[in-house]
Formats: sequence, structure tokens, C-alpha cells
Amino acid sequence: MKVLIVGAGEVGYHIAGRLALENKEVVVIDRDADALRRVAENMDVQTINGSGSSPSVLMDAGIRQAEILLAVTNQDETNLVACLVADILSPSTKKLARIRGADFDPYHEMFREQVPHIDTVINPEIEVVKTIERLMRVPGAVDVGEFADGRIQFVGVNLEANARLAGVRLSDLPEIAGKQRLLIAAVVREDELIIPTGRDRLLPGDLVYFISEGKDLLGALSILDKHAEPVRRVMIIGGGRIGYRLAVQLEAQSIYCKMIEKNARRCAVLAERLNKTIVLHGDGSDQNLLNEENIGDIDVVVTLTNDEETNILSSLLATRLGARKAITKISKFSYLPLMTAIGIEQVVSPRLSAINTILQHIRRGKVLSAVALKGEQAEALEAVALETSDIVGKPLKKISFPKGAIVAGIIRGEEIIIPTGDTVIEPNDRTIIFAHRRAIPGIEKILAVKLEYF
Amino acid sequence: MRWRYIVYIVGALVMFLGFTMVVPLAFGLFYTDQSVRPLLKSMGMTIMAGGVLFLLFRKERTASLNQREGMAIVTVGWTAVGFFGALPFYFADGHWELVDAFFESVSGFTTTGASILANVEALPKGLLLWRSFIQWLGGMGIIVLSIAILPFLGVGGMQLYKAEVPSPVPDKLKPRIRDTAKILWKVYALFSFVQMVLLMLGGMTFFDALCHAFTTMPTGGFSTRNASVAHFDSAYMDFVIIFFMVLAGINFSLHYQLLRGRPLAFWKDRECRFFLGALLVLIAVVSWDVFSAQIYNSIGGAFRYAAFQVVSIVTTTGFATADYETWPALSQHILLACMFLGASAGSTGGGMKCLRIMLCFKYCYKELFSLVHPRAITTIKLGGQTVSEEIMRSVLGFLALYVGLFGLSTIVLAGFGVDFVTAFGAVAATIGNIGPGFGAVGPVENYALIPVPGKWLLIWCMLLGRLEIYTVLILLVPEFWHK
Repeated sequence: MKVLIVGAGEVGYHIAGRLALENKEVVVIDRDADALRRVAENMDVQTINGSGSSPSVLMDAGIRQAEILLAVTNQDETNLVACLVADILSPSTKKLARIRGADFDPYHEMFREQVPHIDTVINPEIEVVKTIERLMRVPGAVDVGEFADGRIQFVGVNLEANARLAGVRLSDLPEIAGKQRLLIAAVVREDELIIPTGRDRLLPGDLVYFISEGKDLLGALSILDKHAEPVRRVMIIGGGRIGYRLAVQLEAQSIYCKMIEKNARRCAVLAERLNKTIVLHGDGSDQNLLNEENIGDIDVVVTLTNDEETNILSSLLATRLGARKAITKISKFSYLPLMTAIGIEQVVSPRLSAINTILQHIRRGKVLSAVALKGEQAEALEAVALETSDIVGKPLKKISFPKGAIVAGIIRGEEIIIPTGDTVIEPNDRTIIFAHRRAIPGIEKILAVKLEYF
Repeated sequence: MRWRYIVYIVGALVMFLGFTMVVPLAFGLFYTDQSVRPLLKSMGMTIMAGGVLFLLFRKERTASLNQREGMAIVTVGWTAVGFFGALPFYFADGHWELVDAFFESVSGFTTTGASILANVEALPKGLLLWRSFIQWLGGMGIIVLSIAILPFLGVGGMQLYKAEVPSPVPDKLKPRIRDTAKILWKVYALFSFVQMVLLMLGGMTFFDALCHAFTTMPTGGFSTRNASVAHFDSAYMDFVIIFFMVLAGINFSLHYQLLRGRPLAFWKDRECRFFLGALLVLIAVVSWDVFSAQIYNSIGGAFRYAAFQVVSIVTTTGFATADYETWPALSQHILLACMFLGASAGSTGGGMKCLRIMLCFKYCYKELFSLVHPRAITTIKLGGQTVSEEIMRSVLGFLALYVGLFGLSTIVLAGFGVDFVTAFGAVAATIGNIGPGFGAVGPVENYALIPVPGKWLLIWCMLLGRLEIYTVLILLVPEFWHK
């Protein structure tokens, strides 16, 4: 499979790296020779120096043979033109573009149906706002994702030393959980991802991923000693596009909301557009300002400025001054592994959400969604089991599953099944699979229709 | 530096080399000659040695390589391969000194074609084939071959590829390095096969045709005959070999374009135009010179021998159909200059490479231009593409190192008691991977009489030339070893 990536920024770089590791043919196009050098030196991909919106460059890169075009430069316009040109040169190529401008929001559908026929428009900012809301709603969650249109959620929580489940063997879990359905799909321990078996024990400090039905979620969390506390007061630091979107959402849910923004003019614009939110002009890392605004009574602080370091410091400061919870926006991937170490647990990343959306479109078979877990070592996939694929018709224990992968849930019509070794997947079931990055090619294979091999 | 990982990969390479010894062994068995025993013995030792290292360090496998490690693997790997490739000669009858066997083997892998043998025809068939076969392996690069065949080299492959491929800017024909390596080897094997068939059509025996095809495409120059290609004395064969030497001297990515149905690529490529143009001019001058000196009676004969010799030296192959040391001074000097020019970047040829010479000229012109227009902002362009400062720096550095190391090695070799012309010719012919030089190492002589330390020096020159200096020389930089 050949994939063309236009833009060697953070998103392009990481997608290219993932796909190259999965043995796909990847060509990266960028105008910046230095950015390309960073790509060429670190991964086995081809690089082409030029503008991704130029027809001759796209032809050089082999657009006609490409299955997928990803336009992920920083400029919406370049991405749109790249897709437009690709549509003319090679209509059969699937096109994905990152378009962040809010003005384009209502037109995403139109872009798909009419020229330039962009199969998927990715706006990571919308995704990020959704993720922030989920993180607010689920107590103790470090990572939250949804499958089956929100009916199933997967949640990552840190296991405290005094939690009931600390030290418990997974095979003993049903006794403690009682009637609650809780399936632990993955554990991150010391930055290593483990797909656990029944013999593994949970240890304090583990980041535990489990899946649960939406209605059972709070019950499941209580087993892990995470108890719900309603969110009433929120402070947003940074009034950019994401901050504004979030504030609008919170207003709609009647949550009391304060927003701190450094730029006076931007404050004026925000104050005009927002109705109930209190817009404050100032620096989010200013201790006096935070105290003045009763930071100690705030339930959730969300730091969304464009400056990574400011976000990190503001979050740390806010929790120190008494805020119950802080959600931090981080774009630089190299910072992500540090976050737990410095005490920041809840992180959102627009780039990571963009990668998630892109991944689900690149996966073969009928993959409905794919989410990269923390540190990108693993993915959670939701896929439809196709009639002629290897996964169907046999008890799970008889399927030659790649090492490091687990079927965490099956959705059959209205029913949600937590599978055992004897469960048989039927055609058109939706399956939720957790898989280590190494196991992804194997998973793709068993999900794909067998005809593909002839 | 993860030394264990480097040893692991080198082990894999050596083991792989051991398995390739099956090829000459099959011929040895077929002709039931004296080569079977030494080949079997070396094959066993090579596979054992490689296998032990490979298995011992197999836990050290990691996903990536950095540039430093890539260079270390290539240099250490080539030295190891040269050593194990020498074993069949060392174990053969005829009292080979270790240094001689090593010299012959490295001369083979680096596609130099300098030999210490006075009587090649006395070698058993199996060893003759091994001699030609290692040139074939070394020409496109034994590491490029391993990348194409061994799956576990895939990820770090780019670093290895960059360190081995003779070009200031290695092309990547396909997004994945493995696919690129596969294509290069397929094109290379296809051309070699076609050449073999053409040679057989001209009346060469299968064995001779195979051996010469194995040494033409890599621009190697080992022959199965004492008199080299002159032995066959056939205009047809001379021209077949000339044709394939020229092909071998052209960037292989252009051959790939050709096979994909874009023959114009040859014309569009500036370097290729320069290379072919230079060949034509040089052939014309040398033909005229040897004809007017009445070495050959007919203009046709003069053209045939002049063309063969010029192409053979410029592409750094080193086949001989004439003793150019009896030619007039002008021709001799042109051939000496040709030794430095070399073939195209990305070809199997050695030397400084046309691309670097062109860039150097352009750079000099730019310097003069900016003396006339001190405030002009100029960039160096090649075929409409701007050449980055970084590439320019590496090219100039390469040329300086090449000339510097050439001069130094000549002086050292003269210090070992070799006369001036021979020392000059021998170093030029080994660092440029050509083979025959001037004086006592001319086209009808061999390297047997060079003193032992001189041979070690020339082995080092051959490796420097094949791996394009930087890859080898970096191991001597103290900072390279610092943690």
C-alpha cells in the first residue's frame, strides 16, 4: 500500500513513522528541506522536496499509484489545493485533509460530495474539545475514548496504592467486581505496554485501560476507587480556537466558566462572542491572578495556550493552588512521556487526535475507528468482522492471534459481549481490539477479507 | 555506539558470504578440480564464524541505526568480507601468502581488479569463478544485496545504504529501501545476463562468458586469461564489453528509468551527458594520437583499441586489450587523468565521479564570477536544481581528501622502495578501483612485486576508494569513538 503524505510537520512525521514501521510504502512531500532531512534520517521513507499542491511534484511522488493522500501541512489552503490537484490527477486515490479553520466547519460534507472529493476532513480541534469533555466527565480518567457511537467507552486510569485492585490477579477480578462487567484490556507499566493475561497482577502505579458500557461506567470506576464528583466550575487558560469552542460547549451545559487570555484584543473578541463566560485579561501563570479568581474552588483547569511550556507550568501551578484537576494541551510528542513524571496526568493533544482519525482510515478491512493509546505504543480498534475474514466463525482461542493483541469487546446488535476464549465472532459483529504496535500488521491480516490474497 | 549490534550484523553478513560460496563450489564440483577442498573448507569456516557471531549477539537486535553505526558496520563488514573472501585463495595449492590472498580478495570485492597473480590460467576453475563472483557481489554492494535479501536489515537499511553506495546524494528509487535495493540488483543481474548471452553468441565458452559478465557490470576487471580481453582478439567481443562497461558507468537509477520506458532520462541527466560526452572526446583524441604515432595501421584498429582502453579506464574497469605503456605520451597522460575522473555517481564505477568534477568546475566558476560581481548572489545549479551548500561542502571535502590521500599514499609507497612511476600508477589505480596502473604495475604486469607493507597500503587504498573515503576515514576520527 502506498501512502503520500504532504507536510512533514509533527503530524506528518509521526504518521510516516508509524506507517513505515508497518512496512507500507510512504512518500513524504514538504517544502522545507530540513524537515525532510529529519524524516529521511529517522525512517525508511522516500522524501520529495517541493510543494505538495504542485501537480508535477505529486506526479513525481507517484500519486497515480497511491492509495491514500494525507494533506497535513499547517495551512488549510495548501491542504485543500493538494487534494484538489490529486482529485484531478488520480480520482481513485483516497484523500484525507486536515482543515482547522472554523469557517470551514459547515462545509465538510460538501468537500466530500463535490470537488475536491476529500473523503475525510480532519479537524483535530473538534476532536480535542470532545476529548476534554470526556475527561471532565469521567472521574480519575487519564485517557478516554468511545466506540460504537459512545455505547462503549474505554478508559485509562492510574491505579492508586490504596486501591482495592492493587496487587490483584486478573483471574480473580470477577469475584471482586461482582456483577459489574469490567474488562482490563491493557496496562501501561513503566512506559511499557502490556496486554495482560489472567495470570498478570495489577500493581500500584499502573495505568489501567478497561472498557465498559456507557451506563456501567461509574460502577466500573468505583471498583477502581474512582468516584464521581460533578464538575461545576471550570477555568480555561488560553482563549484560542480550542478554548473558544470549549467555552461554547460548557455554556450550553450551564457550567460556570472563566477564561484567561493574554491578548487584550482577543479578549474583546471573546467577550463579545461568549455570553456567560467571564473573560479575564492576564497571564495564566500569574499566581496572584489565579488566587484572585479563587483557583482553589475550581473543579477543572484546562490549559490551552499555544505555548507548551506555559500550559505545563500553569497546570502545575493551578493544581498546587488547589484546583481539583488539570487538563493540559501538549503538542510536542517528545514531552508526552515526561508528563506522568512531573505530575500531569490528563493530557490532550490535537496532533494525537489528528493521528487517530488518520489511522482509522488507513487500517485495512472495515475499521470504524482507531485510537492510539498513550505513548503511541498501542492502538484500540473498532472493526466490523467481515464474513470471509479469519476472525469469524471460530472460537477465539482457536484463532491464531498475533502476540500482544486482545479482543476486548464484541457488539452484536443491541448486545455487548465481553468475550472469553470460547466466544465465537459472527459476521457483522463489531469487535473492539486492543493491540500492541507490533501486532497491528497481524491484526490487519485477520480482519481483512480473504479474497484480497488472490 | 552499540558494538554488539554492529558485530551481530557483521556476523550476518559473513554468514551470508559463506552461503554464496556455494556458487563457485558447484563449478568446482562440476569440473572436479583442485578448488573443491579449499572452497569447502573456507565455506565451513565462514559460515561457522558468521553464525557464531550472529547467534551470540542475536539479542542485541534493535529497530534503528544511526549514521555512525551505519558507517562502522559498512567498514567493518567490508573488511571482514574481504578477509573471509580471501580464505579460498589462502587454502588453495600454490603457497599463497596471507597478504596476497587478502589483496586479491579485497581487489575483487572493491571491483579494483588489481591482481598479484602472474599466471591466472593456472588457477582451478572454481577459484577463477570465485575471483569473478566476488567482483560481482562487491560491484552493486554486498550490503545493498543483504538489504534486499535479509529481512532484518530493513529498518536501519537506509544508513547502511548511504554508507555503501558510491554517490554524494544517493537516490531512493522506491519509498522503501528494500525495494530500492531489490530494483538495483535486478537491473544489475539482468544486464549481466544479457552480456553473458551476447558474449556466448560471439563464441566465448559459457565459463569465460559468465566470468567476464561477472566482472564487467561491476566495472571490476578480473579476467580468466593472462592476456585479459586481448586473449580473445575479437572486435565483436571488444565492442560488447565496451558497451556494457559504458552502461555500468552510468547511474543505475537512469537504467531503472529506461526499463520503465523513459529512455530520455539519459539525455536529461546532466551527469550522464557529461560522462558520455567526455568519453567521446577522449576516445577521439586518443584514437587520433595512436593512429598518427603509427601504432595501428588502420583508423578502425586505432579506434577499437583506443575506445576499449579509454572506456576501460574511465569506467574504472581495468580490462586490457593493448599495452598502453607503449602508446605516445599524450595518450598515456590522458589515460592517467582518466583514472581520476571515474564514472558516474550511483554507478558501479570508482574514481572521483563525474558529478563531483562537474560540481567542482561549477564552484570554481562561481568563485571567479563573484570576483567580477562581488555583490552578486549566486547558487550552483545542476540540471535546473539548486545544489545545497551542504552537498557542495561534502563534494569539495571529498576531492581534497582524495587528492590528499593519493599524494600521501604515493609518498609512503615510494618509501617502501617502489619507483616513482609505479608508486604513482599503483596508488591511482587502487584508490580509483581501476586495476592496472603504470610502470611495474602496468596492464601486462601485476602487483606481485610490490613489497608486503606496500600491499597492505594498497588494500587500504582500495577500501578507501570503494567506500568513498568518508565511510572508512571516519573510523580514524577520535570523536567517532567518544561516548
